[in-house]
Amino acid sequence: MRRLRFVVGALLAVCWIAPLSAQQGTGTISGRVTDASTKQPIAGAMVTYGTHNTQASADGNYVLAGIAPGTDTLHVKMIGYAPHAEAVTVTAGQISVVNVAMTQRAVTLSQIVVVGYGQQRAGDVTGSVKQINSADFNKGQIVSPQALIQSKVAGVQVIDNNAPGGGLSVRIRGTTSVNASSEPIYVVDGVVLAPGGGLSTTGDPLNFLNSDDIASITVLKDAAAASIYGANAANGVVLITTKTGHGAPHITYSTSVSASSVTRVPSVLNASQFAAAVAQYAPSRVSMLGSANTDWFNQVEQTGWGQQQNIAIAGSGNENSYRLSLGYLKQNGIIKNNSTQRLSVGLNFDQRLLNDDLQLRANVAGSRTFEQQVPGDVLGNAVTMAPTQPVVDSTSASGYWDWNTSGAAPSNPVASNNLSDNHGITWRSVGNVQGDYKLPFLRALRVHVNLGYDFTQADYEGFAPSILADQSRALHGQLNLSNSSQMNQLLEVYGEYEAPLSPHAGRITLQGGYAYSKSHAEYPSFSETNLASDLLGTNGVPGSSQPPVVNKTVTDSKLISFFGRMNYNLNDEYLLSALVRRDGSSKFGPSNAWGVFPAFSAAWRISKEPFLSGISALSDLKLRASWGKTGNEAFADYQQYPTFTYSNTQAQYQFGNQFITTIRPSAVDPNIKWEATTTTDFGADFALFGSRVSGSFDWYRKNTSGLIFTVPVAAGTNFSNYLTTNIGSMRNQGVELALNTALFQSSERGGFNWEADFTASHNSNELTSITSTGSQLIQVGGIAGGVGSTIQVLEPGVPVNSFYVCPQAYDGSGKPIEGQYIDTTGATVNACDASALRPYHNPAPSWILGHTSSMTMGSFDLSFTLRAYLGNYVYNNVASANGAYQNTTNGGAPANMSSSVLQTGFVVPQFTSDIYVESGSFLRMDNITLGYSFHLQGAPTRVFVTVQNAFTITGYSGVDPTAGVNGIDNNIYPRSRTVTGGLRVQF
Amino acid sequence: MNLRALKAPAVLAAALMVVVAAGCTDTTVAPKSTVTNANVFKDQNAYEQLIARVYSGLAVSGQQGPAGNPDIQGIDEGFSQYLRLYWELEELPTDEAVIGWNDQGLPPLNTDTWTAQSRMVVAMYYRIFFQVVMANEFLRETSDSALATRPAISGALKAKISQYRAEARFLRALSYWHGIDLFGSIPLVTDSSAIGGAPPAQASRSDLYNYVVSELQAIKDSLPANTPDNYGRATAGADEMLLAELYLNAGVYTGTPDYADALTAAQNVINNYGYTLDPSYRHLFEADNNKSPEIIFPITQDGQNTQTYGGVTFLAHAACGGSMNAGDYGIDYCWGGTRLKQQAYNLYAPNDPRASYFYTTGQTVDVGTIGDFTSGVAAPKFINMTSGGQPGSNPTFVDTDFPLFRLGEAYLIYAEAELRGGGGDATTALNYINALRVRAYGDSSAVVPADSLTLQFVLNERGRELLWEAHRRTDLIRFGMFSGGSYNWAWKGGVAAGTSISACRDIFPLPASEIVANPNLKQNAGACTQ
Repeated sequence: MRRLRFVVGALLAVCWIAPLSAQQGTGTISGRVTDASTKQPIAGAMVTYGTHNTQASADGNYVLAGIAPGTDTLHVKMIGYAPHAEAVTVTAGQISVVNVAMTQRAVTLSQIVVVGYGQQRAGDVTGSVKQINSADFNKGQIVSPQALIQSKVAGVQVIDNNAPGGGLSVRIRGTTSVNASSEPIYVVDGVVLAPGGGLSTTGDPLNFLNSDDIASITVLKDAAAASIYGANAANGVVLITTKTGHGAPHITYSTSVSASSVTRVPSVLNASQFAAAVAQYAPSRVSMLGSANTDWFNQVEQTGWGQQQNIAIAGSGNENSYRLSLGYLKQNGIIKNNSTQRLSVGLNFDQRLLNDDLQLRANVAGSRTFEQQVPGDVLGNAVTMAPTQPVVDSTSASGYWDWNTSGAAPSNPVASNNLSDNHGITWRSVGNVQGDYKLPFLRALRVHVNLGYDFTQADYEGFAPSILADQSRALHGQLNLSNSSQMNQLLEVYGEYEAPLSPHAGRITLQGGYAYSKSHAEYPSFSETNLASDLLGTNGVPGSSQPPVVNKTVTDSKLISFFGRMNYNLNDEYLLSALVRRDGSSKFGPSNAWGVFPAFSAAWRISKEPFLSGISALSDLKLRASWGKTGNEAFADYQQYPTFTYSNTQAQYQFGNQFITTIRPSAVDPNIKWEATTTTDFGADFALFGSRVSGSFDWYRKNTSGLIFTVPVAAGTNFSNYLTTNIGSMRNQGVELALNTALFQSSERGGFNWEADFTASHNSNELTSITSTGSQLIQVGGIAGGVGSTIQVLEPGVPVNSFYVCPQAYDGSGKPIEGQYIDTTGATVNACDASALRPYHNPAPSWILGHTSSMTMGSFDLSFTLRAYLGNYVYNNVASANGAYQNTTNGGAPANMSSSVLQTGFVVPQFTSDIYVESGSFLRMDNITLGYSFHLQGAPTRVFVTVQNAFTITGYSGVDPTAGVNGIDNNIYPRSRTVTGGLRVQF
Repeated sequence: MNLRALKAPAVLAAALMVVVAAGCTDTTVAPKSTVTNANVFKDQNAYEQLIARVYSGLAVSGQQGPAGNPDIQGIDEGFSQYLRLYWELEELPTDEAVIGWNDQGLPPLNTDTWTAQSRMVVAMYYRIFFQVVMANEFLRETSDSALATRPAISGALKAKISQYRAEARFLRALSYWHGIDLFGSIPLVTDSSAIGGAPPAQASRSDLYNYVVSELQAIKDSLPANTPDNYGRATAGADEMLLAELYLNAGVYTGTPDYADALTAAQNVINNYGYTLDPSYRHLFEADNNKSPEIIFPITQDGQNTQTYGGVTFLAHAACGGSMNAGDYGIDYCWGGTRLKQQAYNLYAPNDPRASYFYTTGQTVDVGTIGDFTSGVAAPKFINMTSGGQPGSNPTFVDTDFPLFRLGEAYLIYAEAELRGGGGDATTALNYINALRVRAYGDSSAVVPADSLTLQFVLNERGRELLWEAHRRTDLIRFGMFSGGSYNWAWKGGVAAGTSISACRDIFPLPASEIVANPNLKQNAGACTQ
């Protein structure tokens, strides 16, 4: 018995002693984990030593206790930083202090980017995606959100419109369609907007969004990223995310004032040059001329003042966050009586319930925009109205001077601008409610429901009084009213499952969902001419001798989708993604009602491979490849149904003594479907020297087939000899390079920092075929002047919308010989006809270069954005339509001419001469901003001055080389230089 | 049982119900603001409106008069009108007419030098098939199976529809006759061919002939009666007349003449349907010719309600020019285009009243210069003046209908068929010819004796009686005098005095664009392509 006790006692002693001796014999490692460059602590860093591990606390400190003496490796890991490993020796009873400074590795890796139906870490993305955050947006007086990312994203061309709030066009990787829309799809907080952005009578449909409310804009460029949107995604997808509340409740107020002035107007003859031209070419009309010296552009232009006021209240608590914003913008145009005004409201509310398992989110954006528009003839008449005539005439009915003739003649642009009234009012609201629920019994699965709406009421009222000169010659007063409205509703449901793929390595994310959207639009319109009275303007309907034209159209459409996505991530090193979307649209014919859009992509983080991990400068290099199909359904509704048109009274047929109205079915392709684009993309994302230099490179090829064209069909197969059907094909191919560099990085606060970003994109477009049998040539690109004149061509083998002109013949001294051209054999011919016409350049730029620099020093910040287009061409229609002395003899009165006539000496307009196709390459300083940050009674404040369009260097002789989508400068709105000053304070 | 375990399937079931309730995998949306074939026949007037459209295809150029919403694209709308094209192809290449305009596709018609790309030839082909497809659509939409899918219709409407169906088949047969006559072997497209289907294959000229003849025989008794209320519509008389035209030319279409049937058909037209010769020759071509007892099938025009820049508006305006006063013809101004070639002018005896309206002041007889209106005698045959001397209701668009078939021609068909051994009676034939001459002269001064009645005389009499009524090319080909050198007229073959032209000119080529668009078509071997 005593032996048993001894044994037990000894065992117990051993048990007690062992830990005691262990305690006495273990060591501790502790220290602080910080960022090597910013010296800030890194919370949450994983510290591992042998089997011990812990996480660094908020201040970066960590403790590992109870470690057996010896030497082992201490590993410290944190996303966005290079893993740190060092050997540490632990001595019993001692604390080893190991402070770790971690070097940043491509910070962008951990950035969360918005992708379709969810989010991903930038490091995990296998497609071509670029996100711009609000800090990097373009600065200044910005009305339309697309302008915020102009020149910031490689492969994206934002085509300017100089009118305040004017509609912008966006091209992602070139033009993808001819007869359907080429605009990308816009998604605002998960609500997919109608193709083109929606309905509007006040400029760009996206103007309803206050730029101040936008947190980030993401562009999905290739099929792997965009295919999740299926039949709408062929032109790329732009995701807009609005700001949410963060931190303690605070109010942000910003205000700015801006002034815009004209930079360039078309160059026309002055009074003495004009009088000399009339004397030489129309001597009988010299007596008609006055003795004034009027600069008509000067008469209609003004300094455009503008202001913007934004106030936002935002904050977040433990379980919720909110942001409410109000904004007011007014921008006067640089043409008199032209302005746009917007009142906008935005609300975001986020609530977490059930232990953060359920997240509810509501977003609402609403606005009312009022736009006073320039009557359509003002800019043209400012060119052609004779400079020898006065502006006012107290003896005339309108009070303004005008030619007294019944023949065609220019009219007084000041009169038209002041006496006409064209305005649009758009009410728009986009909103949604989202619910995200993480199933408590299956944590890896979450279910997401999104209910959204998009409502627009776009009214337009236009009035031209009968006393205006061109009204008195033709329509005798005009009244146009329309009240279009559109309501879109959206329901999306998806489930996402994310978990380690045990027993195999890596993580897998599976997503499956359903989306249903429908749209209802109504377009009532009223128009009346020959008004009995001018007194009512747009507020009433005066009588008329002609019956008014009243019309109403209702269109409905539906889009139903099923989608699924799989992402596989092995150690952040091998990434695989596959997605498929099945879309059914009411626009497709019954045999093609559903389309399938798959995409596959893969990425390889090659910098993690052993053969590259030795290169310390290379922080990250990810190679990616993708292939996928997307569709374009942005064409008119009901194309698959033969519609019956009623004949008018003058096309009836006689049966006996009666006349019978006839009905005629239209020619249709009952199998019409989407235009299909297949995109292949090879790219690389890289980061060097930590995050000092990062960027991406892409090579892509997009093949589009089934382009919709109206082409001849075999007689006897349809109701007409031409049919609108899917038949053409097009190819876009190019490269993109984006580079973000931190040129100067100061380690001290207040030091000089300079971040420079560069983007370069090159796209080459080719229309590869129109019909499958034989070649076709379609002439497009209507211009002013002549009857039905066109200046562009759609021809297989050349880029879309290539200019179709004849090479001008010149004499020995370099002066053009009027009416003489060089044909395709090199001989000189006397007419610009089929033997001499050929495709010659096109409006799309060959290279788009962008550069943004942001510098900070102390409390000052300076940034500027430069943009260059190379290889785009513009057809100067102002010079071609008015560049001939025939303007003095035409019509009922002499019209002024473009100063090109002094160089060419043309007497008869030569519309199709290539002398008018000018190079539009330019370098433009888009904006320069200088700001100063300080604290105003404790509230962070920033004052700034911004100049937009500081200068443009171009060889183009017209108003603006960015002359609209199709490159035809036909009296476009002049470009302005805007200076904005303002302040932003948060308290 | 753990309640929590139920949660998983419960939640999934709820989710599924949400999806199913949201309901839809149906993407069909019917249009509301346009009338489609889903709802057009809910209005029972639509049947009449659709058959009226098949008729108006001969008279107008689109759904908007005078121009707008055209039927045929790729050509000026006024140029694309059916009657204008048919007249140009039947008259300009012959000894009867010349036009002085430069519109693309017109000059080669004057000189028999057209190609497979000549625009008027191409447009006529599309016009013929526009008519065929429209008639087929009417037949499809009024078939028993189509009517069964709609609400029941009254017996009266059913009877009307069956008449309309016969009329649609007549109009289809009429256009196929034009197609056989002008182009030879063309595709046969019937109402059993679906819209948007495979490009149709060609049928031979004789197969098409047999089809058209069988159609006309089948529908004859279902067509409306010849009453004033049915003016403008196809009647049994029109059907028989069209059969007479086909039988008369059977030798050209099939290689086997059928003059016996031509004679019988002509006899039936003359005896059975109540048509009589109009006492005034001129009245047949005046603004109120809808009152004429002689017209069997017109293409109606109306200055207020059936307006076009083609049709008789073209015929009336183009024939006026030079020193002519537009107001004398009831029109607003002269377009100055068409005149007679001297051979047609010289067919007339100096005192033939059928030439009394010719305008010779300042006009030469010989067509020396095609482009000069004063070169060649002007022949304003179709005028916008009523028989009472009043102008029509609209100076721009005429009220004058075009007599596609009239009784006078039936007399000539009888005479020619009799001379060619089709049976009948020589005395009757002579009496018919003389009836025309008595009507023309107003007395018996120009009556011809029996021995004058030769085939050449009949051809010449056709030239005098039916001048500019779109028969000449068909007649010359039937007589073997169109191609070859046996009969040369001004500018034939591009030479001022006329020269021999190849036999390939007896048919027009299939449009080159059609050969490209329809891989099942082969260019007709007998046609000239350049």
